[in-house]
Amino acid sequence: MSRVDIDQVWKIYPRGNVCAVKDLTFTVNDKEFLAILGPSGCGKSSTLRMLAGLEEISRGEIRFDGEVVNNLGPAERNVALAFESYALYHRLTVYENIAFPLRARGTNQDEVHKKVSEIADLFNLTHLLEKYPSSLAGGQQQRVSLARALIRQPRLTLLDEPISHMDQRVRAEMRAMIRYIHNEMGNTTVYVTHDQAEAVALCDRMAIMNYGELQQIGTVSEIWNSPANKFVAYFVGEPAMNFIQAVIEDGETVVFPGPDGRWVVKFEGEINPSFIGSEITVGVRPQQLQVFREQPEENGVPGTVRVIEFQGEATVLTLDLGDNAKSEAKVVVEATERYDVGEKLWLYASPEHIHLFDGDLPVLRRNA
Amino acid sequence: MAEVRLENVSKLFGRKRVISDVSFTCREGEFLTIFGPTGAGKSTILKMIAGIETVSEGKIYFNEKVVNDLPPQERNVSMAFESYNLYPHMSVYENIAFPLRAPRWGLKLSKEEERKKVCEIAEFLGIDQLLERLPQHLSGGQKQRVSLGRALVRQPEVFLLDEPIAHLDARLKFSTQTLLKEFAKNYRSTIIYVTHDYREALALSDRVILLRRGRVEQEGTPKEVYYTPVSDFAGRMVGDPPMNLLDGEVQERDGEVFFKIGDSLSIKVRNELIPSLKAAMRDEDGKKIVRMGIRCEHIKMSREKMSEDSFQLPVYAVVSEAQSILVSFHLDNDVIFHARSMQQAVYDYNVHDKIWLEFDQNHMFFFPKTIELT
Repeated sequence: MSRVDIDQVWKIYPRGNVCAVKDLTFTVNDKEFLAILGPSGCGKSSTLRMLAGLEEISRGEIRFDGEVVNNLGPAERNVALAFESYALYHRLTVYENIAFPLRARGTNQDEVHKKVSEIADLFNLTHLLEKYPSSLAGGQQQRVSLARALIRQPRLTLLDEPISHMDQRVRAEMRAMIRYIHNEMGNTTVYVTHDQAEAVALCDRMAIMNYGELQQIGTVSEIWNSPANKFVAYFVGEPAMNFIQAVIEDGETVVFPGPDGRWVVKFEGEINPSFIGSEITVGVRPQQLQVFREQPEENGVPGTVRVIEFQGEATVLTLDLGDNAKSEAKVVVEATERYDVGEKLWLYASPEHIHLFDGDLPVLRRNA
Repeated sequence: MAEVRLENVSKLFGRKRVISDVSFTCREGEFLTIFGPTGAGKSTILKMIAGIETVSEGKIYFNEKVVNDLPPQERNVSMAFESYNLYPHMSVYENIAFPLRAPRWGLKLSKEEERKKVCEIAEFLGIDQLLERLPQHLSGGQKQRVSLGRALVRQPEVFLLDEPIAHLDARLKFSTQTLLKEFAKNYRSTIIYVTHDYREALALSDRVILLRRGRVEQEGTPKEVYYTPVSDFAGRMVGDPPMNLLDGEVQERDGEVFFKIGDSLSIKVRNELIPSLKAAMRDEDGKKIVRMGIRCEHIKMSREKMSEDSFQLPVYAVVSEAQSILVSFHLDNDVIFHARSMQQAVYDYNVHDKIWLEFDQNHMFFFPKTIELT
């Protein structure tokens, strides 16, 4: 297994002069599970393909354990790759599919048998070894595909949205299994996805990309609690962070002026004094807002329930805030509590959950 | 707006029966969702209501009037499909305005009135910047919203929407879903909506019709469908992850009933659950087998033993979510089940740790086996 360094890497497609990846630098630590997350066209798949050796690196260096791999082909890099499509050999049994990479290297029979049995056990495939891929369900086929990719103990495992097309149940099981295998085998894994929930679920750290550039890299809680910019704040979390216009009054309060009064909300952290008096965007996560039927002592903003969406494990309310900008806010509440459209409620956010942005950039400095 | 009623409706393609004896009512002003997996027959039902497919057996009523033999244009319905079906040579504005200009409805709007209506719906759906463009210059998500706008611009007897937001990216899907719900409330519209996405079904609907192979499996409010599934199929269709389903053997000892999963796990079943357990159990190879369903949020976890009903299992995987943790457990019979918790303590659980678990029997269900679990 390996540490992977991506060092000032660019990917430029000369035809059309498209710059898919711009000056990308980050490190994947040994045995780490790193997710690369971003919307379509953000450059995440180009990055993965450069790691795999399927795409030439236009500028910069990729190193595995300090060794530059720019000029190594996919086979020489010893990376395992799994895509959304399983690409199994339909005329071979599950056993032979998994054994294929070993056979290609001329591994002896006993060794092949030992390794296939081991990995089949890990992937719960033992009872399926004699079957053919076409008789298996999608989740099982993807397990075979992953087992085949991992049997030769690659230096790096690359997964490109391997389960995003599966139904909820299979996806939940596959997530658990991918995480389990990563831990058991001590792999270094890079997982590319556009689905933030998928990334949050699986990774140790995530790298968020947009327009070919790295926006932020960090643990889930770092990204959740201190997003580097408004894009990251918006992209991670479902439902997305609420953004509301307000004015900074002093070093610790923002004000939402409304026809029925002004609502003052305290925040935590330091701001540059030059922002005082200026209009900024307040960001609060729907999961970090609380709902009260009485006015809370501080940090309360009133709202009227406009839409109620039951989600199963929770309910999402959309409220109209009584401010001049006619803002709305979403809040996640317990599904067991009853709310009605038109009901007046108070929203409360604790000061440490208030984010402030000027344009795309954060304004608050907080000690982690 | 109309009330729509289906009475023992069936549809045969040749000798193949794709819809069997479906009856339901969508009340005036109601948001009704037909929900089910691919191939369940959802779109076929919608097409029969629209008049695009004929009805093989049974009757469809609009406000007590049978419409079986009315062609689509005389039913006064408004449709949006998963495929956009936009007129390629017309601008977005003209596409949306099209139903307003149809002579059949005799709306005869002035230019100003028409523009007001089109702009209102376009602004509502966030496509007001695109009105002058041609469909070929739009992204898939934009086309889908134009298609939805065209369906919503006019007030018909009933709106028929077939996966109208399936192609939007996750972010846009969520916000458009909220808009649709608001639209339905504001205009008190009768809407029949088709989706395979349980989140849409739960979030949008007043009532849900769960369809399984052309038959109604369950009918109820979103909360009824979520909290009281009628079958293992219904439990598995809803939730992320869906309801855990565990097969086990029923054993009776000293007048008490136990539910045994695999070799190691045996749970004492509470008295009030025994009738439903006995109704659901079946003989298999001389054993009494039953399927138990429980949602992941109804399994309690702790480092300490909680009660006599607690049992211990090693953690298989830990997966974090925004505000909760999903912990998976692997049973000896190749079954994985999940438990969800929002407690801070759970954040320290590691793979292979032995954790105490307890099933909340208030939320436990017993079903006959009607689906395969592989």
